[in-house]
Amino acid sequence: MLYGYSGHILRVDLSSGKIIREKSDPHYMLKAIGGRGLNSLRLYDELRRDIDPLSPENILLIGVGPLTGSLLSSSAYMTISGKSPMTGILGDSAAGGFFGPELKQAGYDQIIITGKADKPCYLLIADDHVEIKEASHLWGSDIWQTTSAIRQELTDNAFQIAAIGPAGENLVKFATVACNNSRMFGRTGMGCLFGSKNLKAIAVRGTTPVSIADTLTYMDLCRELDRRILAHPEWNDRHALGSTLLMKALNNIGILPTNHFQKGVCEYVDKISGQELAEKFKVKNKSCFNCNIHCSRYYITGDVESEGPEFETLCSYSSRIGVDDLHFTLKMAAYLNRMGIDALSSGETIGWAMECFQRGLLNKDDVDGLDFTWGNKETIEEILGLIVQRKGVGDAFAEGTRSLSTKFGRGSEKYALHVKGLDIICGDPRGIKAFGLTYAIASRGADHLRAEPFFELTERYDEAEKRWGIRDIANRLSNNGKAVLVEYTERQALLTDCMTMCKNIGLSMDILDFDLAGRLLKAGTGLNFTPERVEKSLRGIIDADRKMNIDFGIDASMDTLPRRFTHESLEEGPSKGQVVPIKEMVKEYYRLRGWDEEGRPA
Amino acid sequence: MIIVNPRKCSGCLRCQVNCSFFHTGSVGRSRSRVKVVKIEGMGIDYPVLCRQCEERFCTRCPESAIEIGPYGQVIVSPTLCVSCGTCETLCPIGAIELFEDIPYVCDLCGGEPRCVMECNMGAIEYEPDSNELVSLQPFKEGARGQSPEAKRIRYALEMTKGMREQWKSSVGG
Repeated sequence: MLYGYSGHILRVDLSSGKIIREKSDPHYMLKAIGGRGLNSLRLYDELRRDIDPLSPENILLIGVGPLTGSLLSSSAYMTISGKSPMTGILGDSAAGGFFGPELKQAGYDQIIITGKADKPCYLLIADDHVEIKEASHLWGSDIWQTTSAIRQELTDNAFQIAAIGPAGENLVKFATVACNNSRMFGRTGMGCLFGSKNLKAIAVRGTTPVSIADTLTYMDLCRELDRRILAHPEWNDRHALGSTLLMKALNNIGILPTNHFQKGVCEYVDKISGQELAEKFKVKNKSCFNCNIHCSRYYITGDVESEGPEFETLCSYSSRIGVDDLHFTLKMAAYLNRMGIDALSSGETIGWAMECFQRGLLNKDDVDGLDFTWGNKETIEEILGLIVQRKGVGDAFAEGTRSLSTKFGRGSEKYALHVKGLDIICGDPRGIKAFGLTYAIASRGADHLRAEPFFELTERYDEAEKRWGIRDIANRLSNNGKAVLVEYTERQALLTDCMTMCKNIGLSMDILDFDLAGRLLKAGTGLNFTPERVEKSLRGIIDADRKMNIDFGIDASMDTLPRRFTHESLEEGPSKGQVVPIKEMVKEYYRLRGWDEEGRPA
Repeated sequence: MIIVNPRKCSGCLRCQVNCSFFHTGSVGRSRSRVKVVKIEGMGIDYPVLCRQCEERFCTRCPESAIEIGPYGQVIVSPTLCVSCGTCETLCPIGAIELFEDIPYVCDLCGGEPRCVMECNMGAIEYEPDSNELVSLQPFKEGARGQSPEAKRIRYALEMTKGMREQWKSSVGG
């Protein structure tokens, strides 16, 4: 038998209703590892490149890894992948919570969904019992309602549910999937992909425990990892505030997106900070499966209560669009989670519109009479409602900022802040150069999590010297050596995703290294996962992603940043005067990756 | 006895994970003797496990397979047990549940409960010298015919009523 892995792949074709359970192939797993890597290689092998992302031929993948749901701290994650409806290139999104570990216990390493159901359905998985169930009565329900309705219907609260909201049903391009109500698969429109297949939700319940090959060695390695986590200098802050600590941290170094990246310092940051949120609205810590940081939070305001929000949502619906009212931001966070819309991409459409209003490129008549003045809360609520229902001007907004700005023209394209169609995250790259490079080369578009080179923010100069021989790597404003860092952390990020660990822990806190990972994988699975084998697999997956993206039409000219970050410098604050010299950095990155000058793998 | 504080519980399941791992070498809810109830919409996370209750409902086992050990823990005899499920039915809070014919119930890990050792939130604590007796009689009403999970949810909701009231009055200030 296979250890670590559940040992089975589930194939579901929603057009024909055919369901097949096949064995996981250990040789394939050595190359793919699990999670995002497993999904990427599956797409590379099985996806027809020229299809419309919304067509039944698109493949929807749910991948977990060999160590998901095990004794390993934060082994909570899973990845959803497919050809992105948002960008037309590789799409994937990962989240924690409890669905991934439950899927493992149900006996599956991956679900492969193809086709399109002729009416709304949800997929029921209870160990070996797999069934496509009618979901017409759930269509139109929000994510929270859907989650509890399915649990009631199945009379078992222990079912884990991954569901879409009305935005996914209405094919909003940046629709999300959520599990446990608030753990969001946010980016690249995986909720839209669910909707295109008439798939409202997946419900899973499993009773087979996760078994390990070399239990005692594995236990020792997990304890070693726990010691690293608990002794980490950032443990206290991360425990208290989670990612919301970044509001003040980024503001302090002048890179907190304010009024759509026109400024990097927000004067009212204290009103919208993680600290303020914790003090006023947080009632307790929350956590994903088997985590010992518990960085998530439960909050209650007069209007709403929920788990969350994370930094990207907090910033997208406050300083980035000129809102100084935390109460309102939390209300929006809950709304986005219920309806199933990505905070970053929806926030960028609003930020774009507000900047276009400021510059006189758009006026009320263009947008159904809405007044996109900075921080206009009524407009924000109204446009979100229109986006979810794809009504009026919301229909154009629901296509995402790239498409929206192209439609309006008038030079507004310049203010659409995206790379390859995916909107930029909340961290101004002008003051964090390695992040800039990451946004430019990330295989799913402007995204930090593909490499999250957090190291450049830590000022660990001696460690930088020791590891790479370049002290500047620990200096956020320098571009020297940043390609070296990104080449390294891109592999570390992929490794974390393949092991389905939390990237805050594996990557940002720099807990996971290739040697420890190799030993964990080997003890966990009994397969020959040497550190060399793991490295080779990671490089193979990164190259496969790139080749697939080239097939989708990506070329070197798209590995860049919006003009704002390469030509306009910030006017004030600790990142004043900075721009990102992106061309040289990308060139150096290609060289280190072993790609040719056009960014093509051998 | 083991004391649960839901105000501190983040719902991470480390108690459940480690209980299962250190008893069986594998990780899964079905093999754990503590099961965390999660009600996401209300922010409730509540680890349910044997309270070593005053009534000891489970000891009315028809096969006399259940006895009480020196720490007050429930001990199930694997030779006498015929997997009839009476203990599961009798427990009013769903703290005993059969899986593949074996009753899973907290055995206090011989006096050093793993769940307590692994909880770094302080949400589960062990007080070996406590003489306090917990009555679960109030939970008997309406328990008949309920699944263990349903009984756990009832229990968790009842035990967190005060917490929710306090939360609502404390925020926004």
